[in-house]
Amino acid sequence: MGTRAVILASLLVACLAQACDGNVLFSSLSRTLVVEASPTAGQVLKSGEDKIKVTWSFNGTHSGKDTDYKTVKVKLCYAPVSQKDRGWRKTVDNLKKDKTCPHLIVARPYSSSAPNNSFEWTVTKDIPKATYFIRVYAINASANEVGYGQTTNKNKTTNLFEVDAITGRHTSLDIASVCFSAFSVLSLAGFFIGEKRRAKKSSPPHM
Amino acid sequence: MAASSVNIESQRDSKFPLPVDSEHKATVFRLFSVAKPHMRAFHLSWISFFACFVSTFAAPPLLPIIRDNLGLTATDIGNAGIASVSGAVFARVAMGTACDLFGPRLASACLTLLTAPAVYSFAMAHDAISFLLVRFFTGFSLATFVSTQYWMSSMFSPSVVGTANGVAAGWGNLGGGATQLIMPLVFALIRDIGAVRFTAWRIAFFIPALFQTLSACTIMLFGQDLPDGDFHKLEKAGDKKKDKFSKVFYHGVTNYRAWILALTYGYCFGVELTVDNIIAEYFYDRFDLKLHTAGLIAASFGLANLFSRPAGGIVSDMVAKRYGMRGRIWALWIGQTLGGILCIVLGAVNTLWGSIFVMILFSIFVQAACGLTFGVVPFVSRRSLGVISGMTGGGGNVGAVLTQLIFFKGSRYSKETGIKLMGVMIVACTIPHMFIYFPQWGGMFCGPSSGKNYTTEHDYYRSEWSEEEQSRSHHLASMKFADNSRSERGRRADPVAAVPTSQDGSN
Repeated sequence: MGTRAVILASLLVACLAQACDGNVLFSSLSRTLVVEASPTAGQVLKSGEDKIKVTWSFNGTHSGKDTDYKTVKVKLCYAPVSQKDRGWRKTVDNLKKDKTCPHLIVARPYSSSAPNNSFEWTVTKDIPKATYFIRVYAINASANEVGYGQTTNKNKTTNLFEVDAITGRHTSLDIASVCFSAFSVLSLAGFFIGEKRRAKKSSPPHM
Repeated sequence: MAASSVNIESQRDSKFPLPVDSEHKATVFRLFSVAKPHMRAFHLSWISFFACFVSTFAAPPLLPIIRDNLGLTATDIGNAGIASVSGAVFARVAMGTACDLFGPRLASACLTLLTAPAVYSFAMAHDAISFLLVRFFTGFSLATFVSTQYWMSSMFSPSVVGTANGVAAGWGNLGGGATQLIMPLVFALIRDIGAVRFTAWRIAFFIPALFQTLSACTIMLFGQDLPDGDFHKLEKAGDKKKDKFSKVFYHGVTNYRAWILALTYGYCFGVELTVDNIIAEYFYDRFDLKLHTAGLIAASFGLANLFSRPAGGIVSDMVAKRYGMRGRIWALWIGQTLGGILCIVLGAVNTLWGSIFVMILFSIFVQAACGLTFGVVPFVSRRSLGVISGMTGGGGNVGAVLTQLIFFKGSRYSKETGIKLMGVMIVACTIPHMFIYFPQWGGMFCGPSSGKNYTTEHDYYRSEWSEEEQSRSHHLASMKFADNSRSERGRRADPVAAVPTSQDGSN
């Protein structure tokens, strides 16, 4: 009994120490923010063109206060279907190691009322083609996450939208590729022909 | 200029800036010279091989961007990695045959220029399949390794052939490490000029592609197959007999030593390729490093080739001076076995600095083993030198495919267990060195044949030619080589005065 208590106590201390250390666990956060975003479920947005409008507010029914919220970070996060077989997008409870939400939309001082609780963002051209949702983290003065809100449910299955990325290809690049490739092959042919001609000229048959 | 049919040897000898033997192969290796034809051939061949290595491994350092652009999964990336090294398996054997028949200059320039389009095509890749295809076809260019070794074996005398082979291949392999530094830099430059990330990486691939095209053109313009001239020029003048594909191929594949070396090379060079593909991820995951730092450590593995593979070649030549071919085989077995043991240790070490230290030692021994292997290969056959080189080189790539498939695909083994088991496999697959036996020189445990079975170098190399071919004097070039290879008897062997270069090679 005594040892159990010691173990529990040390676990608690470890958890607290982790939290103090900046190693915040996502499972320890409460969903204190209500987040709304303009994309509807299943909508496909074009990167570089379409916009997303995100609005966040404090959830009045949730017990607890938002007095220690200093900044918010609005992030674009991968849905599970886009994380499958891609270890570099893995969800890890330790937020320092978590790779679910690598794309930062905006970081703002916290405000729960209009007009400072919304942001309009044009999907940038380096966003890959995938399925996403939006999550907003509330951050305290020591730069630790203390609350969050997201546009989807707990299992991240509802209200997801897609981004159709740019291919990165350009017609001019394709043409340059083909031209240089043709040059390589043609120069090889040229060398062959040149060799044959030179061999015929310089060495008369040796009898 | 002297016509190609000159009979008096001494006149030709004065034409070469470096001292040469009876085959006009250089007997010294002067690294900082570009003297024609020997050292020039050296520099042309290592630079073009370096370019091919840069192209083949240009994708891995840019994968974080490519995988987002093309929507790749971990499986797609793994498959593309295996594809990149599997193309060269057969390409290397084909290249060996091409060298025997057409000469290394044409063969390597041809392959390099024909694979350049694959590198340009990276700019057009749009999904997992197209990505796999471009990596597959670009990987064919690694067959230029064979032409490099063939060319060095044709330009340099037995006493320095290990050194020449080792430095040329080592400096070419450097490309695998250099590309981890070059490609991210080029990408960053292009992105900072203003290109979007998903376009910048495509533009970046033009650099290795152009480098490849240019180096191939340089070989065609300034290179020369043999010390005396190019293959077909010599063939037209009657100084060199054109050989037949079927004969060349037959004498290559029926030589059991080629198969043993193909297997064992898979566990030094093959392992090196596998490690090139997995080591950055290993350090990143196991020790929680930044991707940039892991990439630097990965680059240093490949960069050790600057001195470690040449060291293998140099050690092979040094050991041969005293102990001949038997010394070369012993040095090879010891070096590669030590590499395998260090691989086991690498998987077991738990600390970051310990791992880095062991990895560097491991890279030195594994790369030296590659250099030591190609101190033995030039002597296995003279007629089918290209095919033997190609089989050994191809075997190297088979080893890379096998080790990646068995130990590093999916989640069956953790990376550290995979590395440990790979080390065990290295030690086991290095044992076949004990079965290599040259009747004229001996093997690891047996001396040269004596008494009734007494075989000389002439006998060994002449056995590759039929009676009919010998009556038509097709085997003369091999006989000259046989004379020059007497040095593989070692110093303790019978101190016979240098055999005069007899023109008909008869005994």
